[in-house]
Amino acid sequence: MVNLLKNEWMKIFKRPGTYVMIAILIVITALVGILSKYQEQDFKADPNWEQTLRQENLALEKQMEQTKMDFKKEIAINEYRIKHHIPPKEKYHVWSFVKDTSQLIILAGLFTIIISAGIVASEFNWGTIKLLLIRPINRSKILASKYLTILLFALLMLGILFVFSAILGAILFGMPDKAVPYLNYYNGQVTEQNIVVHLLIYYGLSSIDTIMLATMAFMISSVFRNSSLAIGLSIFLLFTGATFTTLLAMKFSWAKYILFANTNLSLYFEGTPMLEGMTMSFSIIMLLIYFAIFQFLAFFIFKKRDVAA
Amino acid sequence: METIVELKNVTKVIKGRTIIDNISFQVNKGEVFGFLGPNGAGKTTTIRMIVGLMGITSGDITIGGASIKTQFEDAVGHVGAIVENPEMYKFLTGYQNLVHYARMSKGITKEKITETIELVGLTERINDKVKTYSLGMRQRLGLAQCLLHDPAVLILDEPTNGLDPAGIREIRDYVRLLAREKNMAVIVSSHLLSEMEMMCDRIGIIQNGRLIDVQHMKEFVHNTEVTYELEVVPSESALSLIKTNYPNVRANLSRNGISVELPKEEIPNLVKTFVANEIQIFGIKEVAKTLEDRFLEVTAEKGAAQHG
Repeated sequence: MVNLLKNEWMKIFKRPGTYVMIAILIVITALVGILSKYQEQDFKADPNWEQTLRQENLALEKQMEQTKMDFKKEIAINEYRIKHHIPPKEKYHVWSFVKDTSQLIILAGLFTIIISAGIVASEFNWGTIKLLLIRPINRSKILASKYLTILLFALLMLGILFVFSAILGAILFGMPDKAVPYLNYYNGQVTEQNIVVHLLIYYGLSSIDTIMLATMAFMISSVFRNSSLAIGLSIFLLFTGATFTTLLAMKFSWAKYILFANTNLSLYFEGTPMLEGMTMSFSIIMLLIYFAIFQFLAFFIFKKRDVAA
Repeated sequence: METIVELKNVTKVIKGRTIIDNISFQVNKGEVFGFLGPNGAGKTTTIRMIVGLMGITSGDITIGGASIKTQFEDAVGHVGAIVENPEMYKFLTGYQNLVHYARMSKGITKEKITETIELVGLTERINDKVKTYSLGMRQRLGLAQCLLHDPAVLILDEPTNGLDPAGIREIRDYVRLLAREKNMAVIVSSHLLSEMEMMCDRIGIIQNGRLIDVQHMKEFVHNTEVTYELEVVPSESALSLIKTNYPNVRANLSRNGISVELPKEEIPNLVKTFVANEIQIFGIKEVAKTLEDRFLEVTAEKGAAQHG
């Protein structure tokens, strides 16, 4: 298996396109960094921040009574800050930047999908699939090695994004004066979390839809042997899926069964779910079902296929 | 002789159409088996089934005793193959391509790779990207790829396609060498008859998905009476002389004179008769039937028998 992974890795990294992708990711992160630095304002700490927060809470409570909107989270966090002397505003620092660049995960996702869409289909296009499948290794193993390679590639892209952002952020914006914890609100409780741990979890959760779409692209690639279809459909859904699902969710309750209603697990930690009645475990089960369907189709058809390319 | 590859009543149906119809044959160690047939007869489909690229509708194929259906890994471990063109990863070097395939079989050492590269004569260019290779070099790299794990069976589908005469000759010499020295069984497919004649020990002829004949090459080509071509003037009177002297022999006028099917011993007598009758003789030539003639004969006969 290790040998198969080495092979796939070699086939990805001996093509110049891969380095172009990594370069684009780094250049865009750098641009975001430079832009943020340019717009950075002089930071002035508010000496009366506790006063401000109290006023804000009063206003929020009033609003909650009038509009029935849910501000429990904001109020709880504000109260926690007052109690434990954690000012809300701080200087823009490395971790704020890393959090901002998490927006670029979609770019990492895009590149992962491109690789994923090609990893099976290209072998058919190149005609190399014939020589690949007449080795004493069964087809499932070959396909599994290709899927694992996709996951490793996604991890690499996210790793590059995270590490590069952290380095660039540290250079441009400096480290925070003291370790500021992230305040997490879950089930009515406010807890402190190490900021780096929080960011890693945040990156992980934000990549779920990327991973799911890469899996879908992989499935299309292996079922239809067509990388353009796989790239096109997956990227289209990557950019529009969430929006469409939100629109549908406003009208229909079955929208909760759509893949994209379930990919944003962070909603369960720090927000409200897309539809009433959805829970973390519901979403995880839905994700697992989608994942299983994609993998089943990919493996079943790849194993049975007559190779006549 | 030890059988290494065996096809038993192999049938392939695709979308209701029978592509391969009940084919059975064996290939022994150390022999070159030619698989001959016109385009679209089912050569490539059969080869794809042997190496497990295509499923088998009914029947079974065993390689070294292992079924390609149920013991794929064991069976295909005995095989090295080029199916159609030897497509390689063009963005990798020749060496990287070989490393890629070497990683997929057990126990191939670096020395073995180097040795194989030397065998196919690619040592100088092995670190260049495959996209810079000529077709002949790709073909040789393809050969290296299937020899890496010392297979017991070598399968080459149209190995000489698109090669120049020197390249064709090179491949032919390799194939004969491997069968003789390494006791490999080689299965070669082609629609080029002259190629097969020089390369193979036995041939199977396939037409419309049916195996219509398996014969030893020598028998296949020479098992018929020899035809002589006589360059004589005047040919008309010579022909009537033959007909009176040998009433049971087939003889007719040909482009250069007369062609006649006679046993060798009768030729001197015939010459005497011609001389006595003042017929001028410019030449007598033995015309061996080529594989091509035989092939057309066989496919026409069997085709007619099957359809008629």
